[in-house]
Amino acid sequence: MLSINVDEFLANISLISLIAIIGISLYGIFVRPNIIKKIIALTIFTDASNLLAILVGFRRPPSIPPVLLNLQPSPEDIRYFTQVAVDPLPQALVLTAIVIGMAVNLLIIFIALQVYRLYGTLDVRKIKRLRG
Amino acid sequence: MRKDLVVAICLAIVIVIISYIVTLGGGLGPLFSDVRPLATVYLGTTFNTSNPIFTAMSPEAVTAIVWDYRGLDTLFETAVFYLAIIGSVAIYRGINEKLRISMGFGLSKIVKVVTKLLIPMNIAVATSIALHGHLTPGGGFQAGAAMAVIPMLLVVVFSRYFLLDIRLSKDLALTLRSIGLLGLALTLFTPVVIGLINGLNAYIMQNQAKINAPVSLPAFVGGSLISGSLIMYNVSEFLAVSFGFAILFILLSIEEGLVKDQMRGEGVEH
Amino acid sequence: MELTYLLLAISMLFALIATYIAIFEKNLVKAVIFSALQSISFALALYLLRAPDIVLVYLPITVGVYPAAILFLIRKTEEVEEV
Repeated sequence: MLSINVDEFLANISLISLIAIIGISLYGIFVRPNIIKKIIALTIFTDASNLLAILVGFRRPPSIPPVLLNLQPSPEDIRYFTQVAVDPLPQALVLTAIVIGMAVNLLIIFIALQVYRLYGTLDVRKIKRLRG
Repeated sequence: MRKDLVVAICLAIVIVIISYIVTLGGGLGPLFSDVRPLATVYLGTTFNTSNPIFTAMSPEAVTAIVWDYRGLDTLFETAVFYLAIIGSVAIYRGINEKLRISMGFGLSKIVKVVTKLLIPMNIAVATSIALHGHLTPGGGFQAGAAMAVIPMLLVVVFSRYFLLDIRLSKDLALTLRSIGLLGLALTLFTPVVIGLINGLNAYIMQNQAKINAPVSLPAFVGGSLISGSLIMYNVSEFLAVSFGFAILFILLSIEEGLVKDQMRGEGVEH
Repeated sequence: MELTYLLLAISMLFALIATYIAIFEKNLVKAVIFSALQSISFALALYLLRAPDIVLVYLPITVGVYPAAILFLIRKTEEVEEV
């Protein structure tokens, strides 16, 4: 058994399984014919992409979240904080992305309900054959 | 489901073997090394009294980035959320409902008593998250999401008609959401108004004084830290997001037979 | 060996198993429940990555609002997917 760095092995497991989750959810969006299954696969795809963005801004442990706990910091405290905290910018952008994605997904659920009321089915192949 | 579980576990074992081989061959590059220089700038100036031109006076870096350093992004995100809710309300236009007595509907008595105990705790925790958004992890969006489960619980446990009994209709929720957005708009224009009155230069969504715009909202009030405009933004966004979710759940739980009758009476062109 | 990396790898593998079963399951109610399980393990991974703001937004939305709205939709339409 060749010797490897265990930390690097575990980090590579996380990254490759995240890419596999993105691949499986893309298959679910394209191939499955029911609209509700497409909606579930779309939410999984969105979550995995946001987690990939936060994974980029991580820092090797020991590290702390980007919150300053000392309410009267000296310049020494601030310099220690910038060398230990993780990146706050991907977290702010992902916050915006989660709220926008949730609003659009709820609108898609309302439109799917309207499609069922007008066409009587939620199967994409049958709707294509009806043609209005 | 037994076949699916076996295939999934085999897929996980394949991923572990692939990552072992990748690590032997040098790995996927330098994972988790140092952060980028832009992050050092944001972390270094977020609560720095010895650098008063660039600071945001808030010990929570993520809230300062969302409402101060990149405030216009959040403004347009609120606009997108608003358009999504207007689209959902437009699909349900013109549906009237009749009132019905709400005794005897809903789940059993044990569930109702436990839910009555949990709902005030939920409101208290959500308000605390909104008001402390500039000191600890929290803010407007987090508090709105935490309070969004209350209308769903009320519809499932008590019944749809309980919401009509306490007069939480779609119009009341739309009005309260508009009050939240109005608070956001007023806080946006406050530095400009102060600048126009005193004859100084100021930008919209400005928190602390900059080089050629010396208007700033107070960071300390009575000895406690409120970080200028960040606390007003958090409270307004909390109201707007939580009542936006309330509108969506009120509309989604209207009875299906009622909607079909009224829609069929409108004419069948499609 | 760091505890952070070990728990991160375990939660990502559990999320992979849950999402495979969620996509390939024909009964839609069971698919929604497995999607909520995947969201719980993602929330653990987000906590280990030092992002507490995101956990506070993510947990009520993907475990509370999404399964509730999709279950309302399933109740009003059909319940089993036909491949």
